[in-house]
Amino acid sequence: MTITVENLSVDFDQRFQLHNINWAIEDQHHWVITGTNGAGKSALAASLAGAGDITDGQISGLPERIGVVSFEAQEELIDKERKKDDADIMDIISEGTPVRDIIFNDCLDPDTAHAMIAKFELEYILDRAFRKLSTGESRKVMIIRALSCKPQLLLLDEPFDGLDADTLAMLQGYLNELVTKVPMVLILNRFDEIPEFITHIAYMDQGELQHQVDKSDQEAYDNLYQLLHIKTSDLDIPEAEAESAIPKLPMDQPLVKLTDLTIKYDEFKLIDQLNWTIERNQHWQLSGPNGSGKTAILSIINGDHPQCYTNDIFVFGFKRGSGESIWQIKQFIGYVSTALQWEYRVQISLRNVIISGFHDSIGLYTKASDQEKKIADQWLAVLGMSDRADTPFQKLSYGDQRLLLIARAMVKHPPLLILDEPCLGLDDMNRQLVLALIEKICSGSETSVIYVNHHAEDKIAGIDNFLALEQRQK
Amino acid sequence: MANYFNTLPLREQLEQLAKCRFMHLDEFTDGVDALKGKKIVVIGCGAQGLNQGLNLRDSGLDVSYTLRAAAIAEKRQSWKNATDNGFTVGTYEELIPTADVVLNLTPDKQHTPVVNAVMPLMKQGACLSYSHGFNIVEEGMQIRDDLTVIMVAPKCPGSEVRAEYVRGFGVPTLIAVHEDNDPQGEGLAMAKAYAVGTGGHKAGVLMSSFIAEVKSDLMGEQTILCGMLQTGSLLCYDKMIAEGVDAGYASKLIQFGWETITEALKYGGVTNMLDRLSNPAKIKAFDLSEELKVIMRPLYNKHQDDIMDGTFSSTMMADWANDDVNLLGWRADTAETAFEKMPAGDVEISEQEYFDHGILMVAMVKAGVELAFETMTAAGIIADSAYYESLHETPLIANTIARKKLYEMNATISDTAEYGCYLYNHACLPLLGDFMKDISTDVIGRGLSMDDTGVDNARLIEVNAALRAHPVEAIGSELRGYMADMKKIV
Repeated sequence: MTITVENLSVDFDQRFQLHNINWAIEDQHHWVITGTNGAGKSALAASLAGAGDITDGQISGLPERIGVVSFEAQEELIDKERKKDDADIMDIISEGTPVRDIIFNDCLDPDTAHAMIAKFELEYILDRAFRKLSTGESRKVMIIRALSCKPQLLLLDEPFDGLDADTLAMLQGYLNELVTKVPMVLILNRFDEIPEFITHIAYMDQGELQHQVDKSDQEAYDNLYQLLHIKTSDLDIPEAEAESAIPKLPMDQPLVKLTDLTIKYDEFKLIDQLNWTIERNQHWQLSGPNGSGKTAILSIINGDHPQCYTNDIFVFGFKRGSGESIWQIKQFIGYVSTALQWEYRVQISLRNVIISGFHDSIGLYTKASDQEKKIADQWLAVLGMSDRADTPFQKLSYGDQRLLLIARAMVKHPPLLILDEPCLGLDDMNRQLVLALIEKICSGSETSVIYVNHHAEDKIAGIDNFLALEQRQK
Repeated sequence: MANYFNTLPLREQLEQLAKCRFMHLDEFTDGVDALKGKKIVVIGCGAQGLNQGLNLRDSGLDVSYTLRAAAIAEKRQSWKNATDNGFTVGTYEELIPTADVVLNLTPDKQHTPVVNAVMPLMKQGACLSYSHGFNIVEEGMQIRDDLTVIMVAPKCPGSEVRAEYVRGFGVPTLIAVHEDNDPQGEGLAMAKAYAVGTGGHKAGVLMSSFIAEVKSDLMGEQTILCGMLQTGSLLCYDKMIAEGVDAGYASKLIQFGWETITEALKYGGVTNMLDRLSNPAKIKAFDLSEELKVIMRPLYNKHQDDIMDGTFSSTMMADWANDDVNLLGWRADTAETAFEKMPAGDVEISEQEYFDHGILMVAMVKAGVELAFETMTAAGIIADSAYYESLHETPLIANTIARKKLYEMNATISDTAEYGCYLYNHACLPLLGDFMKDISTDVIGRGLSMDDTGVDNARLIEVNAALRAHPVEAIGSELRGYMADMKKIV
């Protein structure tokens, strides 16, 4: 039996929508759905149980009996109980339905129910009113109901929430016995709770089922883990190092002012008289087709382009070519690009890659201070790479390298962060990872961002200035 | 002009030869201050000229280029290099009189005419900088008394000088002041500032003398660095072909073999290079190198003697005067060798296999490094200089062979090095003729057979002890230690 979800869109009272879900739950497959809060995990599970209005697509192959555990189902049942009480017009105090009836009325598998009651040690509440139970107790009742309906599919939304360690182990052990009998879909916020028997992991964001990963694909699994970590961990981006703080810039000056910028190669003018001013706390998106000069402009700002000396360039209080060194310029800039990643071919540990951001160097050529090490380790924690601090950079996957270089660029909290196509060459999941990290950075610092990207869908919240370049005629 | 070195009394010759000190980072706290606001004019815009200029400008210094009027009028490559990078370019007459510092970064061969042309135009009290001391030491160029003369020599090709700077690092650099021309006592401060401007101070600066630089540089480049690698390439290739090894394999084993085995040298000296071999192979390589050292020692001595007494430079200058007939002829001959003409085969050779199948190459590098070092130190050159000009630079040259064989090596090195390399090669090929007759593919091309894996403990202990006791290893580990402190990576 396969449950097939095709192009499914579901509306939940116009409060929330699922979009274009394609998914198949095959026999002997057991899924975990992950994602941030509000991503649509519970909605997806609920739609399998019949909630919401299908606006497009379809679900086929759904079995007759579905065991559901969720806060919504729990709440619904409690609500129903409460209504019974309110609806009672008799002037007697309603006790509500006792737990025994909640479990055993319409129960298809009383043996299992009895066994579970014993395992959860719930005999003492059987005669109490369901609506008077604590949340934890009523959750256990929900689990017993779900497991004792001879389920052909189990939808368990955060089933382990609030269970103590022994109960958790007991429940996981029990579910483990069911693996050959019934497919299971679990919704979990924490990766470390994923039971052994899970075979597949789905990742949801904004009502879309964005990734489906076979658990045996270690690399994809790790990436997903990291994505969830960055999206959900409450770790803030670390502070800059106090002692090597970047000099203060005068408040009344723009960060960058390019006047009549002209970049030419022989007779060909790549950029012709461009004027661009970047004020403090402005975020910019720079766009344009390949070869329109985006990277050239950025390297003019960054001091890597030789024609920065033949143009009227004002950056961070310096007029270029007035005796300043490029290191005085670079200290104000964090830079990430594909080219940087290619050039970063030195033997170096992850920790030291991050520390190299304090010195604007590729590789680390000075002894790191304890403070620098501490901050680097905090960044590794944000990235979910704490256990790999001493791993060689070259051993990282391409996407992880990019994440690390973004952390390197941000480690000193520069006034300007230049992200030159930071998602270039990355697959979907890694792109999301990078964007998640960038958003985390943008929301947590006073850094201005210049963001260059081809992909319209890779938007970053908070960017409201745009510079679009056109293809120059060759 | 007379050979400057030969005009000095022995006592002073020895004193100058022995100059070499590794400078510490805290000696560079003044940064580029000594050059700040000064007008720096670079003569020549080849690989060294352009890349050093780019670094100096990025360090906040005022750099422009002067070229011969013809190069500007014809918009030659050097003119294009400078203008494309946004530098001011002008003739000698236009720019030299305005210069506080003139960097002479033209090829050695042009030094005499260039310096003769610019010296009369230079400001009173200005500074003239070289990156090689040949003109001063060997040609005996006399510089106006009011001018300061310094040398700043990055010990890497120009492209590396730039690449390392951009990374935030630098390349090891040698600096010196010509004591006869330091009227204001500013020479050292300016040389240090220059080394900071190119990033060299981060990678390590050696304070040396014009004489030590020239005499050790010439010796290193013509013997171990270029000569030994060229001779070794030709001999090993021909031997493998004669023994029926696939030509593509042989070509690749040599082209990339030098780079691979000297990478081990760079990290841990001769000891580490031999430690990469199996025990029986190590003993074999050791024995071969001992044999090679006996055969080649007179040749190394001759090169050093000719360099010291000026025979080498006068011979080469005679060839310069004779339209480079010898140099060009030898260059053409090299292009025609079987090794040079056989492209590397499309075969997989693992890193370890380069060692296992290149035992003779390992022996040649060991013999060459140790002989060059021993000969230099015996001639009064201090161990630090001798180390840099032998062991330290070997991987850099091996690198160029990996890129495009002997052609690339000879194209990258100076004409002076190339000339010396051919001299060495012509003498060394016949010298090793009998030795090569006894060589078979177990030490070059195929590796030791798996049957002879046993070694005698006592012999192995002897070999290991001898490797580690060589003086190039002692100074090497000390200097690599400094370098590692500065380059704390991994």
